[in-house]
Amino acid sequence: MVRRRLWGLIVLGIMVSLSFHACGGKKRPPAVAQGGSSSSYGRDASSQAPLPLDSGPDVQPIGNDNTTGSEFEASDPLTGEGGPLEDIHFPYDQAVLTEEARGILEKHALWLQNHREAKVVVEGHCDERGTAEYNLALGDKRARAARDYLLSLGVAADRLTGVSYGKEKPLDPASNEEAWLKNRRAHFTVSR
Amino acid sequence: MERTDSRSRPRSSPRRRLSLLAVSGLAIPFVLWVEARAQQPSADASLVFEDLGTQRFAIPDCIPKSGDEASREACRTLTQVLKSDLQFENLFKFVPDNLLAAIPPLNPDNPNMIDFGGINASILVVTRAQATGSDLSVEMKVIFVKSGRVMLAKRYSGKADNPRVFAHQASDDIMTLTQYRGVARTKIAFTSDRDAQANRRTKEIYIMDYDGFNPRRVTVNRSLNLLPAWSPDGRSLAYVSYRQGGPEVFLAHIYEGRSQSLTSGKDGQAFAPAFSPDGKRIAYASSRGGNMEIWVANADGTGARRLTSSPGLDTAPFWSPTGNEIAFTSDRSGTPQIYAMDSEGLNVRRVTTVGNWNDAPAWSPSKQWSEIAYTSRLDGGFEIAVKNLESGEVRQITQGQGSCEYPTWAPSGRHLAFACRRGGKWQVAVADRLGQRVQLLPAGAGNNVYPDWGP
Repeated sequence: MVRRRLWGLIVLGIMVSLSFHACGGKKRPPAVAQGGSSSSYGRDASSQAPLPLDSGPDVQPIGNDNTTGSEFEASDPLTGEGGPLEDIHFPYDQAVLTEEARGILEKHALWLQNHREAKVVVEGHCDERGTAEYNLALGDKRARAARDYLLSLGVAADRLTGVSYGKEKPLDPASNEEAWLKNRRAHFTVSR
Repeated sequence: MERTDSRSRPRSSPRRRLSLLAVSGLAIPFVLWVEARAQQPSADASLVFEDLGTQRFAIPDCIPKSGDEASREACRTLTQVLKSDLQFENLFKFVPDNLLAAIPPLNPDNPNMIDFGGINASILVVTRAQATGSDLSVEMKVIFVKSGRVMLAKRYSGKADNPRVFAHQASDDIMTLTQYRGVARTKIAFTSDRDAQANRRTKEIYIMDYDGFNPRRVTVNRSLNLLPAWSPDGRSLAYVSYRQGGPEVFLAHIYEGRSQSLTSGKDGQAFAPAFSPDGKRIAYASSRGGNMEIWVANADGTGARRLTSSPGLDTAPFWSPTGNEIAFTSDRSGTPQIYAMDSEGLNVRRVTTVGNWNDAPAWSPSKQWSEIAYTSRLDGGFEIAVKNLESGEVRQITQGQGSCEYPTWAPSGRHLAFACRRGGKWQVAVADRLGQRVQLLPAGAGNNVYPDWGP
């Protein structure tokens, strides 16, 4: 009797986990990340957002644990620049994800599914206008928005760390619109 | 450095070991000994400058006690720095150099008061210096021209390697005759990229004299180190460092060369530290609860608790001089504005009402003037503004020469420092509290930002 119940629990567990993967491929997560609720923002893996439960019809192919997809170029360990994941950009004084940014993040989530040993620091950056403190807060909000969207796409919380650089590490140190556009970004520093 | 005041302690002649400066990160620790000795009977307390605006200082050239080049060079520096220090105080008038040159040479042992009265001087400052090997001794007398009475007599001795320190000490001693605290020995902490290696955007914390000279590096961790904030005793600096990944608050004990962590990584990012006036608490901004809020903790980082809870970004806390209130920036109304609350987080009220972007408040430490300096966006650029909390009047300190941000008050509240972008480079600038005289400091190489004016 006890043994039978145990088997039942195991089967249920497998079903739940399958339905989670199915959901990841089918359902579009909310467009704007919820800022106030993410106690998961830090490096605490245990406080991952609740997994969406959905009885989707299909099963998404999951990455092989012994993946050979580990061939990728990590970001420069000294500067944090470069790496396989392109930056996303933000409008002036805002931390909302544009349609284009969400599209890029969805590609990043797929890439991360296929490169399970990759860990990412999600950096929030700002242009030089405004004070250091305000931009550190704004960069935090940008990093959080990008990270929360990746979490909602099923990337594990312990692979994503958020850091705000405010206006302290501009990609382009020039003082013009072109440079500001480049500098209002979330950057993804990827390491193994 | 302690002060020996011949007015309040006329008969004592204490030899004091005044300071041991060994800033962490310096290749060569800098050791300074100065002794101050009162040599004259007490000046009458009634001689304290009563009508500052009418006093005219004569500061003739310092007279070397021996003819060697080292003494003459020390004298040149002493005269120039003492004049510059007293002019910066913005309280006195000065007899022009061409009038000083027109009277017979000063006899330092027996100055001719008729000569100085003739060029309309009311206060005469006589200085002498002698360099002996690596040591320097300096004497200063402050004499009331009308009566010939000596108001102040000081003798300083110490290492000869930085004669500027002697002039700063002398200037601050002259300021003890006024109701204001002198500024000359105060220091400004700041952030600079001057030592960044190629291709790495590292920034370190430095301190310098109030006049921009004598810069010294504090942090050496080759990470991003930002936003230094002096402890009220002047012995340590809270600052933000990325040395463990994300921004966290650390405390540098600058004369001991060690630092401690005040916030820890698992709590989310923390930055913008500010000490309470009694040095017992520290406020900062942190996202540890999920949203950027103002937090307050004990000075060692323990007992942290959240003060604000608004869905907007709350940042840049700064204590009022009583320690009963905290000013901060919040965008809860849509754009960044300055707010104030009591130090328990209650009674939040908006301070700035003019302009659509006001940020980085600095509450004047003065008991005389209740005012908050901040950074304000005007016509696309950022400028320094001050709001008087009693009258509600706002005055603009900088205008239209390129962005300026991050104001900080001198301990007296009579001067401000801030960072300005000039010719593509950020430099620290200073101004009097009304903004009538704004000048860039010679702060050396690199971009120099986030000044914090310390004790």
